[in-house]
Amino acid sequence: MKTFSLTIGTPDGLLFSGEVERVMCRSITGDLAILADHCNFCTALGMGGAYIRLEDGTQRDAACIGGMITMMDGKAHLLATTWEWEEDIDVERAKAAKERAEQRLADSSLSEKEAAIAQAKLNRALVRLSVKNQL
Amino acid sequence: MAANMKAVKLRIKSVQNTMQITKAMELVASSKLRKAKERSDRCRPYFEELYETLETIAKGNTDFSSVYAKPNEQQKVCYVLIGGDRGLAGGYNSNLFKNFLADAKGREYTVLPIGKKCLDHCKYHKQDITDDRFSVIADISIGDCFEIANLLCREYKKGEIGSIRLVYTEFVSMLSQAPHTKVLLPLSELGSDETKKEPVRNLILYEPESTEVFDAIVPEYLAGVIYGAVCDSLASEMAARRTAMDAATSNAEEMIGKLSLSYNRARQASITQEITEIVGGAEGI
Repeated sequence: MKTFSLTIGTPDGLLFSGEVERVMCRSITGDLAILADHCNFCTALGMGGAYIRLEDGTQRDAACIGGMITMMDGKAHLLATTWEWEEDIDVERAKAAKERAEQRLADSSLSEKEAAIAQAKLNRALVRLSVKNQL
Repeated sequence: MAANMKAVKLRIKSVQNTMQITKAMELVASSKLRKAKERSDRCRPYFEELYETLETIAKGNTDFSSVYAKPNEQQKVCYVLIGGDRGLAGGYNSNLFKNFLADAKGREYTVLPIGKKCLDHCKYHKQDITDDRFSVIADISIGDCFEIANLLCREYKKGEIGSIRLVYTEFVSMLSQAPHTKVLLPLSELGSDETKKEPVRNLILYEPESTEVFDAIVPEYLAGVIYGAVCDSLASEMAARRTAMDAATSNAEEMIGKLSLSYNRARQASITQEITEIVGGAEGI
């Protein structure tokens, strides 16, 4: 299959740069996959599982949270706030974070801001666990 | 002669003490620089990629329905000024302020200072300060950058500010750092001050809609660029301090050399004089 160049960057560094067949991620409106020869395109990313498929057919899963993906003149740039490869995700930590966030949300005396923070933490933990198929 | 010798000796001692301090500061700055540089190197690709992407989008954009994209009437500029927490870093802070004042001349503006020195500078010049919560640059994390970005976006959407500019110090190399001004918003001004290439109007598909996409992307973009600039500035500050302290130490060494020379001369002169006096006295007897 035809490939295109993709770079994945986060504030922690450039995580991937090379040719891929396909990139799938979750945008603010839902899952989307991009193949080669896509028209110029830009959207914001939501939270969810993502993967890239390399030329040789290997698939690398990841958790992707926030950011943007653009396709400009045949080159894709995925700039995420957080992008964690599946193998780098710490399941125990995510589970602990999920429990903590759930406990926190059960507390009704939370202010709106605190609840939003806890909810965001819960969502992040859930995304990580879902990528690991550990939900 | 004896009094002069004592004065020189005291002076040597004080220069030695100063040298000890500058030497220690140089070492501290070097170790901090290493850490800061690592951080800056790590986030630099993201920072550059982000800015370039937004620049390409801005150049190719024909859809000005989003508030972030179109130029607006509000003249007020918000400067995000990123400087150091402490002095003794050579021309680091003053170069930054010079660059900032040159750019701000003739504009109506407000400042969001990052770094204690910036806050002091703004207070001293009685400039309008947007928020002083982020004045300690050493404590700034990516989370704080998101907060700053949200704050700026709110102000921008309300129409309180018409554009956002970033003034920071770019880390060119260990020995050279250059103050720099970047336009952050509105997107239509991005890349406008660069050498004019014939703009290629690329049509871009925004999903679901450009307004929504920009609403989601812009805070993230601001946070990313500000974080990158903070990392770069921090590395620059440490590098500038290291260079300044290195120069100070070698200056002190030179001074000590000169002073010891004159001390030794004075000592020798006094000994010679004593001998002459003794010889003169003996002859007189």
